[in-house]
Amino acid sequence: MHSQPLSQVPGQTQVTPIVAFHEVSKWYGNVIGLNKLTIRILPGVTALLGPNGAGKSTFLQLATGQLFPSQGTVSVLGQSVWNNPSLNRFIGLCPEQDAFYEWMTGRDFLNTCARLGGMNRAEARDATSRTLQAVGMTRHQHRPIRGYSKGMRQRTKVAQALVHDPDVLFLDEPMAGTDPVARRDLMDIIQRLAGEGKSVVVSSHVLHEVQSLTPNIILLNHGRLLAEGHFRQIRDLIDTHPHHIVLICDHCRNLATRLVAWEDVEGIKVLPGDKGLMVETRSPDAFYARLPQLSLENGLLINEVYSDDDNLEAVFRYLVNK
Amino acid sequence: MTPASAPAAISRSPGRRRTYRLSLSAFWTLYQLTLRGHQHGKRWIIMTALMLLPAGLGLLVRHTAPNVPSVAIEFIFVFLLIPQALLPLAALIYASGIIQDELEEQTFTYLLIRPISKSAIYAAKLLATLTTTVVLTVLFTALTYAAIYAGAGGNPVLSRCLKACSIHALAVVAYCSLFGLMSLLTRRVLIAGIIYIVIVEGLFANLAFGIRLITVIYYLRIIAYRTLPFIVPTPSGPTDFAANAWQLDISNDPKLLEHPQLPHCLIVLLGGSLACSILAMVLCSRREFHVKTVEKG
Repeated sequence: MHSQPLSQVPGQTQVTPIVAFHEVSKWYGNVIGLNKLTIRILPGVTALLGPNGAGKSTFLQLATGQLFPSQGTVSVLGQSVWNNPSLNRFIGLCPEQDAFYEWMTGRDFLNTCARLGGMNRAEARDATSRTLQAVGMTRHQHRPIRGYSKGMRQRTKVAQALVHDPDVLFLDEPMAGTDPVARRDLMDIIQRLAGEGKSVVVSSHVLHEVQSLTPNIILLNHGRLLAEGHFRQIRDLIDTHPHHIVLICDHCRNLATRLVAWEDVEGIKVLPGDKGLMVETRSPDAFYARLPQLSLENGLLINEVYSDDDNLEAVFRYLVNK
Repeated sequence: MTPASAPAAISRSPGRRRTYRLSLSAFWTLYQLTLRGHQHGKRWIIMTALMLLPAGLGLLVRHTAPNVPSVAIEFIFVFLLIPQALLPLAALIYASGIIQDELEEQTFTYLLIRPISKSAIYAAKLLATLTTTVVLTVLFTALTYAAIYAGAGGNPVLSRCLKACSIHALAVVAYCSLFGLMSLLTRRVLIAGIIYIVIVEGLFANLAFGIRLITVIYYLRIIAYRTLPFIVPTPSGPTDFAANAWQLDISNDPKLLEHPQLPHCLIVLLGGSLACSILAMVLCSRREFHVKTVEKG
């Protein structure tokens, strides 16, 4: 397990973390939700990744003071979160569950959330209008929530987390179940918020979405920290594991004969239709370095080379399955 | 780190921990939210059907047995049926959902993540629950009086109705406070509440021993008896229905000196309600509430 935090991006080591977990464990009876998790999340956008049951929601519920840690300490913006309602003025949560006061209209719901946040009528009215516009729900604001599509409900959930203009946002699977258009829009909203200087912690198990939102990732599995840090650093971390590189070529079987002699090549698979090869290697850099020479010396034309797994999905798969 | 995510993000950050100050605006909003939730639930339909029962039965008896004195009908339906069965049930149905409803509907998260303490959340929701149940109780008690005395009214009936409404309102406040507390102590509050209603309020309250002092209904009966006459003319002469039905030994103790006085009864009921509410608020503030998520199933 790569549970030690990787070094942070240069220039940010002195920044106060927005979220700090120290040796935090959370049990639900005999079931463990989080297991001795120690982590510091710095300002910016951070993705919390893991499969269902990894502990992402538990993490967010602890970070927003809904749950009390069985062991350890949790602080957000330098304050303990448990029984600290004043802190809720500075944080917003988009919960995972698709639950609303269904009889309310979208506007009514947001206005109520703003008022619950302590705003007076005028402030709440303005904040509601502003937030509805920010999430693109102005047109549907007077419709009952029970008639909203999944995408509209997700936008409304994000909106209630934003209505009091928090500094730190926790978004629990905000794009779950949405159509591609709503998903794109929600990602735009998150990126815009980050652009406005908000810190966002977004949980997801849809990896490619998160990858385009931020390179800062935290990987959880079975309540434990699998890895954390910059996507590239994590990629480096797993370089000891096989990389899959695809070579698209005309005479792939000839090429395979050559490649099989290389020591760092651990496996070769011919792609359907003899279109190319998938090579498994533990030394991708050395492999890439020798590839042009191979192509020149033997007259084996390689049309295309790409890594099949240089994305977050692969990182995640490697670390979880390890 | 993305370029957009600058550390300037926490310019408004709270710094050291601040003293919590309850926002009256938030409290009032939560109170209104709970009241509106009551209007949209199905409870009020059940409660309306139940609470219409004494009015309907009163009307039926009045028309099928015109010789039965109105005071007797009033006693049976307003002072036996309503406080013994309907008020505790109404209180149980509403108070059991003070927190539980929001947990089951998974909307409690929206309250927990606001700058309102959990004890204030409970207090606002309890107040709203008391408002709803008191309004329903007063409304249907008045309706029952109208059904029993319509056309035969006058100032004495109005006075009796007002006193009965007040006693019933007091009852429902006490029951809601109690069942609200119970709902934080057990998940099976409906079962526990029904057992309580049957055994404590149904059985213990009707025993002519000191144990009835622990029941809500005993104090309600004493208040009713001290503030309203229940003498019914019968062929064998005037009969005190209430004393007989409520195990009050008026032959040896005509002024009920062995029983608590009116202020004592009020103090016990209101003080008990307040104590239950405060205890529930303390419990609420210390408890963590598990809202179902996909992860926790």
